[in-house]
Amino acid sequence: MDKHIVAQVEAALSEVLEREITGLTEEARLLEDLHLDSTSVMEMLMHLEDSLGIVIDPENLDMEDFQSVGTLTAYLARVAPEPQLQGR
Amino acid sequence: MTTSVTTLEAVESFVPDRVVPIEQLAERLRLRPTKVRLFRRIHGLQEIRFDPELSLYDVVLPAARRILDGPGVRDRIRYVVYSHTTQAVAPAHIDPAREIRNRLGLEHAEAFAVSQQNCASGMAAVDAAAELLRAEGGPGDRALVVTGEQAFSPQIQLIPDIAIMGDAGAACLVGLDGAGDTVRSYATRTLGEYSAAMLLDEEKSLEVSTVYAPVLAEVVREAVEQAGLTLDDIDQIIPHNVNLQSWRQTIGELGIDRSRVFLDNVGRYSHCFASDVFLNYTTLRDAGALRHGRTYVFATVGLGATFAAMVITHRASGVAQEAA
Repeated sequence: MDKHIVAQVEAALSEVLEREITGLTEEARLLEDLHLDSTSVMEMLMHLEDSLGIVIDPENLDMEDFQSVGTLTAYLARVAPEPQLQGR
Repeated sequence: MTTSVTTLEAVESFVPDRVVPIEQLAERLRLRPTKVRLFRRIHGLQEIRFDPELSLYDVVLPAARRILDGPGVRDRIRYVVYSHTTQAVAPAHIDPAREIRNRLGLEHAEAFAVSQQNCASGMAAVDAAAELLRAEGGPGDRALVVTGEQAFSPQIQLIPDIAIMGDAGAACLVGLDGAGDTVRSYATRTLGEYSAAMLLDEEKSLEVSTVYAPVLAEVVREAVEQAGLTLDDIDQIIPHNVNLQSWRQTIGELGIDRSRVFLDNVGRYSHCFASDVFLNYTTLRDAGALRHGRTYVFATVGLGATFAAMVITHRASGVAQEAA
């Protein structure tokens, strides 16, 4: 997993869940382990829009991308512009 | 013996002039920036109509008055049914249904409220009014269903993560075998295990979010089937304005094209308690988008949780029902 993206995901989750989130593993499941619901997933994406410089298209979201930290970071890596990834 | 057909002889709506972009509500509703962005970008809300300077009756009465201006309407109103979401819209010593009736000059009519189904109460009121007319009404008797309320406190204005409530009012003249749109069916399902509504614990709230779209889609299909139709026969779904994300999921469950659900008013007015379907109906009608003889479905959900759908066939103004 891209460390820069994981760090931004941890920051976004910390805000959305209102508790500090660190040490995320690829296998951690967003709904079952981290207790997110579909709306808090969306709010996390809103946070990541700023921190990763991405733009989410709400019309084309696939919940399959938000099953685990691994699928989430893979999705973010796909939609993030290249310069963001160079900062890792 | 043939059963009389419920007809919606007139529908009118009202929204306050004052427009408030949702960003301006962040402080009042204690929304952090990502919540505001969630509402705008994901839920599709842009602005609401919200004017604390107006009274409840300023919001409720204009639509009803427009209907009463019609020839021969006023004297034949037998029931005034005030349908509202918030239980206490007026101080405890005031009965808002009677107050609305009196302010409309309809003292001869019986007045009562329907609110137990929250935002699905509008359709329940139409159904109850029609059944009363069927049971005890005389020829030509009608009922006036009135909706409308205000987001008078932050607690009422916000359904966390789901909706920001706007102000609107509407009225619907209900008759039997009269002119206007015919009601083809009405399906409703109440999942009482979620009656705590906004006070549900986290686990139950998560359950509601999981069942919401599938159950709403099932109830829409049930209403369509009751009408002897299929989804292909439906021109458009006229929905509540809760948010775009809930409707994306419901549209996915229904397996229909997004264009078959009228969602333009979500950004414009947001969710206006029990008034949405009537408000959206008038927007479509005034734009010339409702076609004579075509069929539409009202669809809404009330907190607590009631899912409701009503199939109607539109008839252009003044076209009487054809003899069966």
